Amino acid sequence: MDKKKLTAKDFITVGIFTAIVFVVEFACGILGFIHPYIVASYVVMIPIVGSIPMMLFYSKVDKFGMITIMSVLIAIIMFVTGMGFLGAPLIIIAGVVADLIAKTGDYKQFKMISISYAVFCLWICANYFPVIVTANSYRESLTEEGFSAEYTDSLFRAINSKTIWVLLILCLIFGYIGSYIGKIVVKKHFEKAGIV
Amino acid sequence: MEIKLDPRTKIFMIFVVSAIVMMSVTTPFLWGLKIVTTMVPIALLIAEKRYASALRFFALYISALILTFYFLSSESTGLIRALLTGYCGIIAQFLPAFITAWYVIHSTKIDEFMAAMQKMHVPDGITISLAVVMRFFPTIKEEYGSIRDAMKMRGISLAGGNAAKMVEYRMIPLLFSCVNIGDELSAAAITRGLGGNVKRTSVVELKLHVFDWVLILLFSIATVIFVLNKYILL
Repeated sequence: MDKKKLTAKDFITVGIFTAIVFVVEFACGILGFIHPYIVASYVVMIPIVGSIPMMLFYSKVDKFGMITIMSVLIAIIMFVTGMGFLGAPLIIIAGVVADLIAKTGDYKQFKMISISYAVFCLWICANYFPVIVTANSYRESLTEEGFSAEYTDSLFRAINSKTIWVLLILCLIFGYIGSYIGKIVVKKHFEKAGIV
Repeated sequence: MEIKLDPRTKIFMIFVVSAIVMMSVTTPFLWGLKIVTTMVPIALLIAEKRYASALRFFALYISALILTFYFLSSESTGLIRALLTGYCGIIAQFLPAFITAWYVIHSTKIDEFMAAMQKMHVPDGITISLAVVMRFFPTIKEEYGSIRDAMKMRGISLAGGNAAKMVEYRMIPLLFSCVNIGDELSAAAITRGLGGNVKRTSVVELKLHVFDWVLILLFSIATVIFVLNKYILL
């Protein structure tokens, strides 16, 4: 069989890790209910916590397409869980670019994997898209749906069309840092156990 | 009463409900519509004889709605009220999508789902991965439960208050068991002929019945009304 072709095993790997990454996102997302500033700090938390499963995932990726499929799945799940479709293009573009970057390193060079993971982390910013793109109507709907004015105000103070660039860059930086943390953890636990 | 819905109807339902939760609700009529669309999956849960979860969702949704409407407003201040408003808002907004997703995950067999996706000509890669994701959420929950129990027994649930350790203690065992389950799953999938070059056949015969069409019609009308209200009338 062609080495470049994705097999059922690859699809299953993608599915499993997507589920895990989404659980990480969900766990961090719940913390966001406490205070809106935590919503802004997703860009720090998710890249770092998520780096552990993602680095394990990268160690299993060896063909083009797996990271892309993961991004498509994340886009679908985000839509289904009510985050809207505005972020979907960003998620999928981030996924394809991350896939291409990792491919230049043949999915083995750690330098490329780091950059690739940093780019992939941009999908987290898709969470903020409904807040930014539809700022006014979103604000209205939040207040109508019973979010307190305090919450809404701080949310918009933390996330708006100016800070989104900061958030995007933070995502990249912490994704890059996270990849090192993830690598250390994967090495500590999984390489010794012979899973990787 | 036994209602067997086609997975395609269920997928359509998910999409409609997820789209509706994103739209702002301005008039009582729209609120009513939103509530009706939420009641459909709850009714379906009852038809599936999942009374406990249906009741739980119903109670949660209704209490969130009542709290939002009668006791809280955006002017409420103070930490507890602010938190409560936030929670109720989130519950009222996202619970419909959550209930629908929960219903679909718990009532669809994987082979039905695969057959439906195949009929809609979704690429194999997406279908298989998505089926795994769907199947995997309950597994993760189960595994996590065992990990928590094990940690409790050894008295390391809080890991001495060290946040990084707390994450590590939970994440690593979870990843270990998930990777192993994944290997088993791949073996099982290959015996079922996934990833082969031939078109798979399915034991389940999928057909849209009257009830499917009724639901599709109902949800389509709801979508049209919401879209009209959002983009044309306003």
